Order: sequence, then C-alpha cells, then structure tokens
Amino acid sequence: MSGKKVSVWTSITFWRRSAAWVTGTATVLLMWLTFNTMGQIAMGSDEDLQNGVTKRIPAPTVINYKIDYKMDEKRGHEVPVIGEKQPFFGKEWSAEEAAELLRHGKLTQQAKNCMNCHTLLGNGAYYAPDLTKAWLDPKWNDGTMTGITGKDTVEEAMAEFLMHPSQYPTHERMMPDLGITREEAVALVAFLKHMSAIDTNGFPRNFSQSAKRLEGGTHAR
Amino acid sequence: MLASIKSNEFKYESQKLAMNYFRVAIVLFGAQLLMGLIAAIQFLYPSFLFEVFDFNVARMVHINALVVWMLYAMIGSVYMLLPDETGIEAVGIKLGKLAFWVLTAAVAVVVLVYIFVQVGPGNEATIWLINEGREYIEAPRWADIGIVVVVLVFYYNVFATYTKGNRTGIMTVLVADLFALAGLYLCGMFFTDNISMDQYWWWWVIHLWVEATWEVFVGSLAAYGLIKILGAKREIVEMWLWIEVLMLFGSGILGLGHHYFWIGTPEYWWEIGALFSALEPVPLVAMFVHVLYDWGKEQGHAEAGQQGHAVNNTPAMAWIAINAFGNFLGAGIWGFFHTLPQVNIYTHGTQFTAAHGHLAFFGAYATILIGMMYLGVQGAYGIKKMTMTFKTKMAIGLIVFGVLGMTVSLTVAGYEQVLVERADLGGGWDAYFIAQELPWYLQAQGWRLTMGLVTFTGFLFLVADLLTIGKTEAAKEEEVQAAAA
Amino acid sequence: MEPVIMMPQIAPDEFLRIFIVATLVLVFGVGYAALLTLAKMGVVSKKFAPFSYLFWILQVYSLYDLSVLIHSSPFTAKVLAVAMVAYLFAPHLYFYLIEQSEERYGNSKE
Repeated sequence: MSGKKVSVWTSITFWRRSAAWVTGTATVLLMWLTFNTMGQIAMGSDEDLQNGVTKRIPAPTVINYKIDYKMDEKRGHEVPVIGEKQPFFGKEWSAEEAAELLRHGKLTQQAKNCMNCHTLLGNGAYYAPDLTKAWLDPKWNDGTMTGITGKDTVEEAMAEFLMHPSQYPTHERMMPDLGITREEAVALVAFLKHMSAIDTNGFPRNFSQSAKRLEGGTHAR
Repeated sequence: MLASIKSNEFKYESQKLAMNYFRVAIVLFGAQLLMGLIAAIQFLYPSFLFEVFDFNVARMVHINALVVWMLYAMIGSVYMLLPDETGIEAVGIKLGKLAFWVLTAAVAVVVLVYIFVQVGPGNEATIWLINEGREYIEAPRWADIGIVVVVLVFYYNVFATYTKGNRTGIMTVLVADLFALAGLYLCGMFFTDNISMDQYWWWWVIHLWVEATWEVFVGSLAAYGLIKILGAKREIVEMWLWIEVLMLFGSGILGLGHHYFWIGTPEYWWEIGALFSALEPVPLVAMFVHVLYDWGKEQGHAEAGQQGHAVNNTPAMAWIAINAFGNFLGAGIWGFFHTLPQVNIYTHGTQFTAAHGHLAFFGAYATILIGMMYLGVQGAYGIKKMTMTFKTKMAIGLIVFGVLGMTVSLTVAGYEQVLVERADLGGGWDAYFIAQELPWYLQAQGWRLTMGLVTFTGFLFLVADLLTIGKTEAAKEEEVQAAAA
Repeated sequence: MEPVIMMPQIAPDEFLRIFIVATLVLVFGVGYAALLTLAKMGVVSKKFAPFSYLFWILQVYSLYDLSVLIHSSPFTAKVLAVAMVAYLFAPHLYFYLIEQSEERYGNSKE
C-alpha cells in the first residue's frame, strides 16, 4: 500500500478483472446451457415415434403421422400431438427416405430465400404469413386451398401451390414464382409438416382456436 | 469525403485506409435505404416489381447492405483510431490495403448475384454460390470463407499493432472484443436440416453481435471519441469503459435467451431471457448519463476558462450524443417492452420487431459510425475545430425525424397485428391477411414509406455534407488565421 | 421434468396498457437518473434533487403494475422488488465512483 489511500472502486485493474470474471462466468453459463439445450433439441429417432416418446424436435419420419395441435392443460398452452399413421403423398416413407426428403426441403427453403418474406418459428421477414404451423393452417385443411388447386390432399395442394403460386392468388399480395420443381415442392411440404410437429412452447398462441374464431368471421366482435 | 482524396493531412497510412472503408460504407448505406424504399412500396402496392425484383430480394439486400456497411464503417473506425491509440502505423498496412480491395470486390460480386440471380435450385451449390437463405447472414459460403480470411488479415493488423505499440485500455477492449466478434461469425457457417438447431446457432451470430460485441465496440468508440473530441481524462474514461464491458457482457451474453422462447428450445430460457434482457437497458442508461456528464463537465471547464477544452468537432459530438440517446431509446425502450415472454408470445414475428430493429440499428450503431466518419473528415483536412454546417443540421434533423417516424409507424402496425392477428385470431394465414388489410395497418405502412423518404432526403444531405464540410471548414479556419496574422 | 410455468392469457384490451406501462418503467427510470445527475452537475438547482425520488416511486409503481398485468409469479415479483431497491442506490454508487475517480486521476494533467 502506498501512502495515499485509494479506493478499490476507482482501480482500473479492479474493474478490468471484474469485467473479465463476469464475462467469463456468463460465457461458461451459456455454454453449459447450450449443452443442455443441444440434447433437448436434437432430432428424435424413428423408434421414439413408434414408442410414443415425445421429443421437442421429432424424427423426419413424423411426416408419416397425423399431426394435431392441442391445448395442454398442464403446460397452459398448445402442443403438437402426434397421432396415428397417415400416408404422405400416398405412401409411407422409410427413415432414410424421410431424412433425405427433409434435408432437401431444408436446403430448398434456404435456396429459395423463404425467410425474407415469411417467418419460420417467428423469425424472418413480415411480408407473408408465419410458416411455423402452416401444415395445420385451417386454410389448407378446411377445403379452401384444396378446392382452389383442385387437389384431394393437403400435401398435393401445397405442392401445387408452391410450384405455381401466382396462378392461385388469394390476396393482392401474392407469392412469386420461384421456379420450384415438383421434387423441391414435395420436399418443402415435408419440411413444413415436420416443422409443425416441433414443440414451440405454444407459439403461435391460440393457433388452434383461429379456425373456430374465423368461422364466425367477427374479429371486431 | 471523396474530395478528401485531394486533401490528405493524415500522418498514417492506416487512417487513409480508414477513409476508403468509410467511402464504401456510405455507398452501401445508400443502397440499404434504396432497397428499404422498394420494400416499403411493395407493402402498399404488392404488384410493384412483382416477379421482377420481389420483396425477398429487396429485403435481403436491405438487411445485408446494413450489416456490411456497418462492418465496413467499424473496420474503418478501427483503422482510424489504431495509430492514435498505439502511437504507431498499422503493422501490415500493405496487406490491409489488399484485403480492402479483395473484400470490396467480393461484396460487389455477392450483391450482383443477389440482384440478378436471386434464388437457385434447392441444393448445396446454391448455398455455396448464390445465397444461404438465412436472414442477415445470407452471404453464400464462398463469400463467408472470403470474409473470414479478410477479417483474419484485419485482426492480424490490429493485434500485431497492439502488441508493438502502446497498449491502452481502449485497445485492450477492442482486441478482445474483435476476437469474439470474428469468432462468432463461424457459428453461422454450417448447414443442418434441423431448423431449431439452425436458429439456435444463427442467433449466436446475430444476437451476440448486435447485443453484446457490437455494443462493446460502440462503447470503445465512444470512449475514444470522448478523449479525442472533448479531451476527457483517459484514466476515467477507461475505468468507465471496463464497467460498461462488465454490464454489457454481463447482461447481453445470457440475454440471448430472449430469442430462445419459441424456436423449439426448452422453457427455462423464458426466465433466463426475461431476467437478463430486462437488465440490458441498464448499461445503456449508464452510457447515456456518462456521455452527457462528460460533455457537460468539459463544456463547463471551457466556459469557465479553465483547462480542458470544448468540443472540437461538433458534428461528430452531436452524432455521438444521438447515439447515447438512440441506443437507450431503440435498444432499451423498444427492446424492453416486448422482451418479456408473456408479451413476446404475441409480438414475436410482428412489425414490432421491425420497429425495434429500425430504431436500434440506427440509434446504437449508425449514429456513432457516422460520427466516426466526421472525425475522419476532420483528420483528412487537419481541421482544429470543426463546426456544424447547414447541411449537417439538415442531415441530423431529417434522418432522426425520419427514423423515429418509421419506428412509430411500424409500432402502430405491430400493435394492430398483436391485437387482431395474434390476441384475437391466434395467427395463421387468414388471421395474418385480415390484420394486413385493415386501415390501421395500411395507414401505418403509408407513413412508414413517407418517413423512409424523409430519411433518404436526410441521407442526401449527409452525403453532401461529408463531401464538402472538410473543404469549407478548412477554408474558414485559414481565413481566421489570415485575419489574426 | 421441468417445472410447469403457466403462460397467462392476455386480453386484447390490456395490451396498450402493458406497452405503455413497460415504456414508463424505463422513462421514469431515466427520469430518476437524469434529474439526479443534472442536479449533481448543477445544470438544475440542487433543490430539485429530492424530486428525482418521485420518479423512482413512479417507476416502482409502473413496474408493479406491469408485473400484475402480465400475471408474474410471486417469485418474479420478489426479484423485481430487489431490483428496484438496487436501482435506488445505483446512481449514488455512480456518483461516488465519479467523485473518487476525479480525485484519483483528475489532478494528473496530460
């Protein structure tokens, strides 16, 4: 200690060390949480699906199942519910086929720059509807879009729309033709169906109610 | 600024290189605003350039130009302060100049591909050559690798100069911060078919840039600015800089949690995100008070005729003061009111985010980087005391008014979306379009476009001012000297 | 299993109040810090310094209102109470630091 008394609070060294310690602690905590989260958001396996084990991100083969979105009283919000088997484009996809399809779908989603108009899991641009639960959207499931595109199933209607979006306008603001091929469209639909089965902690809120509400057509009520 | 090629009073090559970075930055800033205007028009008139230059392209170039101009201005700022702080020339200046041209050529190619090729088939080649389709970091993989190489050259320059010259506190913070900033970019350079995993790491780049490392970078610039412009005491400024680093990293790193509410990640991020992002405004308040306190104090000294000197570059000081306030307003207030999970579940993915993004990027970053450009012009002309011109005031007034106007408009649009689309209708295709077509939303978008035009007019004044202020002020100073002699 | 956290439902007519109150929390917070700083700097009369605590009280009330509006859990409410007390002392710690650092570094002129 030198003769002049100086407060530790004005010591640059003290603050430098504190900054380093706080930053280090925050970083270590973040890494620890990241390891935990990585485990929880790793994709499940086909066996999990067969055994009814719920994963936050299910296996790609979830496209072989019916997906629902229901209120979970215990968690206080809606969660995806994986139901019985359901053919996807008229067949059941093996684990390898489904994985390959999902990969192609994700690549196409990036290559076509979907995120700069739409939001995915709520992130992206705000020029077009959120795609998180697009597979479950009443618009595709109440006969509207299947009717417009003249297809029997939701997946066929979605694929047709994606290939020729500006042929099926629903609003003045339309989706442009992005040169999506049939294979890419099928893969994109698989990507969307898989995304709708992700547990998003209840986002978007009250989604399952929108169908009921819209039937009344009175948002101004 | 272009005219400053003729007048170049810099002692160091590093500072001349900085001016090159500033020149490209201001051009990209202009491109960002033009793309924003196109996108804003498309909200009102969807057929505008439909299937020619679609919204996704305009939006992509809009946000990419934003990120890239800020990175350019940030690199420029570092080359500007490097010799001042270390007392020596940048060590690898030749390499640095080469890196500048390589980076600029790469940016030009990427932008041309964005504009003319736009999208590609759904395979790996598109991600390597055309665009990666991930918001903010769309740059194709080849460009990613190129950026990493250029940044390594830049970092080598900073690090080697730092180790050879004076190791000031500001430089220590910058060297550590830039290392983290550059390293984080690597988190955005891989492909995964798991969209939740994708977004988890994507936020490491985006959030840990703009809410942690960039904020600390701005803190360092403000510290440098206070010493340079106000003649503030270095020890005091550096002590505060370390406190700011403590608060910014202490809240910002785990504040990352507020992006992990709804992307498939576990619920514990709700508490972590809410707690730490609620703390994020605290350092912004501290920075705000600190800048104003120092300004007031030094001004007071100068007026009382004591030692210490008054502001020697009023345009730069004005932009730094706007930064202190804008950072708090845009990042603090506009961030805080939709960051809590209970509210965020309704606001996530609406125009609220756009409102926050516009004001925060402007308030926290654009302002101080423009301030650094004015410091550059002052140095290039060797002006002792630079004051605001009419154009400076017009630029400040119009840009600030325009950006605030856009923010308020987008907030109104977001509010309408929250009520109609989210709270009442619960999201989905029809809910979305019902909300998009109500008068409140359309009028808000109309005002946003108008305010965008105001901002652009302000930008024109800014460019004109940067190009001429050096010459005008230098001539004025000479006149005064001649009169005194 | 993780603890169950109920996400409360918010009625549409409550949103405006939530956004305004959330903004007020920060506005009053800055008002408190700013007025105290200005009084300390002598820009406004020292007599105004006690009024800054009025801003702090308003801020506490706004935060309380916000926590009620978003249906915070009792634990969160306690964390908020502690945070507000900490914020009461923050500017004073800040001035203490400024004074001490001026004293230590201020005299050695460049």
